[in-house]
Amino acid sequence: MNNSLKSSVPTDREVILGILNNSEDTLNKLYKAYYAMVLQFILNNNGDEDDAKDVYQEGIIILYNKIKAGNFELSSKLKTYIYSVCRRIWLKKLNLNSKKAGNITDYEDVFAVEEDVEHHEEKDAAFVKMQSALDHLGEPCKTIIQDFYIHNLSMQDICEKFGYTNTDNAKTQKYKCLQRLKKIFFQP
Amino acid sequence: MELDAIIEDYLLGKLNAQETEAFEQLRRNDATVDHKVVSHKFFLESMGTFAEQLRLKEQLNHIHSEIDVEGLADALRPHPSKIVQLWRKNKSVVAVAASFIVLSLVSIYSIQHNSKQEANYEKMSRELSRVKQSQNNLVLDIKANTQHNSPKKANPGNFGGTGFAVSTNGYILTNLHVVNGADSLYVQNSKGESFKVKSVYTDPQNDIAILKISDKHFNGLSTIPYTIKKSISNIGENVYTLGYPKDDIVLGEGSVSSRSGFIGDTTQYQVSILVNPGNSGGPLLDNNGNLVGIISGKQDQTEGAAFAIKSKYILEAMRAIPQDSLGVNRLGINKKSLLAGLKRTKQIEKLEDYVFMIKVY
Repeated sequence: MNNSLKSSVPTDREVILGILNNSEDTLNKLYKAYYAMVLQFILNNNGDEDDAKDVYQEGIIILYNKIKAGNFELSSKLKTYIYSVCRRIWLKKLNLNSKKAGNITDYEDVFAVEEDVEHHEEKDAAFVKMQSALDHLGEPCKTIIQDFYIHNLSMQDICEKFGYTNTDNAKTQKYKCLQRLKKIFFQP
Repeated sequence: MELDAIIEDYLLGKLNAQETEAFEQLRRNDATVDHKVVSHKFFLESMGTFAEQLRLKEQLNHIHSEIDVEGLADALRPHPSKIVQLWRKNKSVVAVAASFIVLSLVSIYSIQHNSKQEANYEKMSRELSRVKQSQNNLVLDIKANTQHNSPKKANPGNFGGTGFAVSTNGYILTNLHVVNGADSLYVQNSKGESFKVKSVYTDPQNDIAILKISDKHFNGLSTIPYTIKKSISNIGENVYTLGYPKDDIVLGEGSVSSRSGFIGDTTQYQVSILVNPGNSGGPLLDNNGNLVGIISGKQDQTEGAAFAIKSKYILEAMRAIPQDSLGVNRLGINKKSLLAGLKRTKQIEKLEDYVFMIKVY
């Protein structure tokens, strides 16, 4: 298991190019390459597997977005970057839960990534806002909106899926839902 | 509703050119419409980002499900044994506790040790009172004991101490404990020449011995530069000594710090000169080159407390020797010291020839 993980570690250049080209395979390799490192860090610092998963995914998303935004400069090894980001996130979480964070057992070098993490937090807030707005929407609006905007279904598909007599009805329903969603979303 | 549909189509680029132009016209004329467009645009962007992040998260979850989390976690988890885990987590606490225990042990030990010392001290003071009550003889015993403890014993093949000339024809004065029990005695001057000597007079009471150079190669010395100081020296008077604690002559400087010596011995001064084994028998001189005493020992536990036999007893010892044999050019009281008014370096230059290393075999 460990061996197969290690053998498939992609080079840093591969990762960046792969993500820019939306390569699923690269993302897969990247994810598997450094998961063990973060898991070890979290497990040894008052966390469990679920914490590790959350933190690691957040870290990968930060890296992904940064690469996608095109302003990623490889000033260190990717491994160090991921480790630093995950470490930062985990420390914040520990702090938030006022758990003991006195003695952090480190396994890798660390460098400052506060800016990236904070930037991500802002983005994440918007994400959470949208998520909760959708949750407040209720069925069938939530599914209609998700199908149209996220899964990119056509109005025709939606009409069939929900059994509307014609697309106009479906459209009307969708706009009603959209109105409500926007109302919830733009609520201060 | 109609408007919203148009706005969305406009933003998604689904309107044809004519409709777009018409809509933009409307947007320019009506601020409400424009506002709606902007807000919907923002909403759509948010939705886009949301969708993208959601897809990414799904993807990651999918990848995550492929990893054998349990297996990895078991391998990487902190040690399963609770005790080891406890130890690892609380290393620092344990370390603090351990150092505290060590510290308290040390302090307990030192307290015990201290009280032991106090006991010793009491014992010594009792001894002191006994000394006061008993005869003079006992004082000597104690003195002999302290001298016995000091490492200035006659070690075969080692030099024993220091001595200095009291007459030009080869009489040398030193401590008795330097030469006591010696098989044969030699003196060596600063030039490295050795002469055989024999002991001609010993004064066990004052720890003084007088030796005579019996070597036929000895040619005699020129006039003795120093004189004996008859009066008692004052506390604070600067004094110095020359001696052979090593193979070469060594200067030790200090001042008279007390008019009595070891446990109140009035035949000695206490001087603040750092002396070492081998300094015994060395001359103690003041700034004007007057002989104040003979270095005889130091106290074990106290720093910077050396003892010197008062010069008065040198005179007594010299009187015990047939005056004729000492010759004309001997150490005297009334003569003027040749060292008076000279700088310390000049004084030592002149003195060097008269201070000898005593070698005991």
